[in-house]
Amino acid sequence: MENLKIKLKNETSVSNDSDGSYKPSGKTDIKVPLELHACMGLNACKGHDRYGDNDCAGAGYCATEVHACHTLNDCRGQGGCGLYGDTEEQCKPGANDCSWQGSCGTPIPAERFITQGKNKGRSVWQLARKLFEDRMDTARRNVKEAPFEYGPPIKWLQANGRDESCGYSGHKNCAFIVNKEDRIAAQEKHSKEFSKESAQLLDNTVENCECSDNE
Amino acid sequence: MKGTLFQLVDEVTPANLKQAMQQAIEIEIATIPVYLYTYYSITRVPDQATVLKQILDDFKRIDTNGHSEEELQEAAEKLALDIMVFANKAGALIMSVAVEEMLHMSLSSNIKNALKHHGGLPELVGKTPKEWPAYLPGHQPPFPINRAKLTLDQLYTFLLIESPLPVVPNQNLRAQAITYDTIGDYYKKIEDCMRDHLTDDDFNPDAPQLINSEYYAQNNVDTVYYDKDHQPKFSNEDDSGGLIHVRGVDSAIKAMDEIVEQGEGATRFEHGHKEVGDHLTPDGKVVCPIDFDPLSYDDPSKGELSHFDKFLEIYCTITRTNHRLNDFLGTQDFDYSKYFITDLPTNTENATYPETIQKINTLTNAIYTYIFVMAEGCYKKAGHTQFEIFMFGIHKSMIWLLNVLSESMATMVYREGTGTDLKRVAVTFEDYDFAISNDSPKEQILSMAKELIGVEYEVESNGVTSKSVIVSQGTYDRMSDLPDVAL
Repeated sequence: MENLKIKLKNETSVSNDSDGSYKPSGKTDIKVPLELHACMGLNACKGHDRYGDNDCAGAGYCATEVHACHTLNDCRGQGGCGLYGDTEEQCKPGANDCSWQGSCGTPIPAERFITQGKNKGRSVWQLARKLFEDRMDTARRNVKEAPFEYGPPIKWLQANGRDESCGYSGHKNCAFIVNKEDRIAAQEKHSKEFSKESAQLLDNTVENCECSDNE
Repeated sequence: MKGTLFQLVDEVTPANLKQAMQQAIEIEIATIPVYLYTYYSITRVPDQATVLKQILDDFKRIDTNGHSEEELQEAAEKLALDIMVFANKAGALIMSVAVEEMLHMSLSSNIKNALKHHGGLPELVGKTPKEWPAYLPGHQPPFPINRAKLTLDQLYTFLLIESPLPVVPNQNLRAQAITYDTIGDYYKKIEDCMRDHLTDDDFNPDAPQLINSEYYAQNNVDTVYYDKDHQPKFSNEDDSGGLIHVRGVDSAIKAMDEIVEQGEGATRFEHGHKEVGDHLTPDGKVVCPIDFDPLSYDDPSKGELSHFDKFLEIYCTITRTNHRLNDFLGTQDFDYSKYFITDLPTNTENATYPETIQKINTLTNAIYTYIFVMAEGCYKKAGHTQFEIFMFGIHKSMIWLLNVLSESMATMVYREGTGTDLKRVAVTFEDYDFAISNDSPKEQILSMAKELIGVEYEVESNGVTSKSVIVSQGTYDRMSDLPDVAL
């Protein structure tokens, strides 16, 4: 079985157990978020994450805005992405123009993929992070690495009181294996391969979104 | 057809073009509740361990070929894996067709609304078949269409609906509409009429139409399934077509060609007529293909099968798998679809349910009908109003309300009188008559929903019953967010 440790960028309090699950962070949600954003690593400033104690832009844990699905976000920049919505919407994770125009729920698990257009099957979170980094660059802000290199795994979200969004085709991070240990190992392998492949294709993903014929 | 004013004719002319476009819309609408009803009978993601145990128990009980336990275990594991992929795939394929039927309804409506003197506002509300079995308006010969669970018989009906070739010679049976023997044939009559008699001046390109690219996506997570390695597969392709702005004769014909190709395959691009795909025999048999012909696809990249061929794939996978399993077990009538198909009733009506279930079914029917109310609203107003109705009303209603309620209802059960037998429930997809009240349709929906918040219903999963709330406060809140569109 592969080493199940996920590479952590700047925190040590998040670890996963041998059964693939994660321990809760033990932190308490901030009562009044300083910024409403769609996911881990998408906070614009210090103290803007779910717990209110991150030290820099982009280093925050988890979304401060949670909704389940397409059309349910209340404001600009709060939409997740993937699962539902047209090509253009799915090119704007965490960067939608207005309320209800997000393509999917928040937070955005690392395993969620785009379902429409040339970027079908690629990571939503990685595109969201790239758009966030570009926005911060325009604003001349430094950005730290996110707690998880490729976004929050579904199991980490579940361990911390959040869940995956809608749809009826089953869990994105799964394997058709009855034996639990083998299944967990396969899930981890799928997840890593998916994240790495999406990372390699990220420049092309952005290019596709900039292209008007991404239909 | 009850409730229609179609006349008995077999040609489309400028004089009846308006009627022909309305009939086209109603043909498309008639398919939607049928495909959705069958879709909700599929358990797309069964529990693999539970299915494996059920299969193994059945194999041990019915095997007459003397297989060892190891052989039965191996065969059961293979079948369980096949089911995990196929159940999800069958659901994804049917949903992908339903998505395109809604597109077709919109394309036909675009054409009708763009036609100046030969068209007008599309009529969408109240056009769901009122009697079941239903019949496609004008189809020759008529054949019954049921709201039923997924079976080979139901799939055969789907094949008849989408068939690119006449199944039996035109018998010139009585019909109360413009007659045709395939849907492709029907649209060709309209196209011929437009080519022969209309010019671009007969169209008003500024009439409200559904043309915004944000309104339509070929795929969503419900058209996705996973292969054996759990890699996602997409049932529709980006190049299979989308909404079309009808500006004149050419764009109207382009829209109709798209409808026909998505339904029947790339018939017209290649040879002008269907040369392959003769899979339905006059005596009611289905001839399964070894491989799909390029003309079975509806997109240039040959990645998306037509509706007919998607249904053929489901049909043939079930028959081949059952044939293989019956050979292996030495049985005659083993049907593996029982492991992922819920035994929903056929052509059930709201009035047959107990009162508590009637209420949730009526609410779901009202949501279903309100989608058509909103769609009609989109043809009365363009611009931001149309955008809000479509994006925040229709999308929300389809994904969050109709889908959630219908999926939940397919798990519900009830007992009749003092009986102990569990009876299954399914949403009946009957048009709700909002005209019975002076309140707006949205107000009526909210009134019905408010009464059902927190009400628990009996549901069943893997033989275990429990109580479940179907309408939560959150669901009610979503309904409150809907735009208020008048009849």
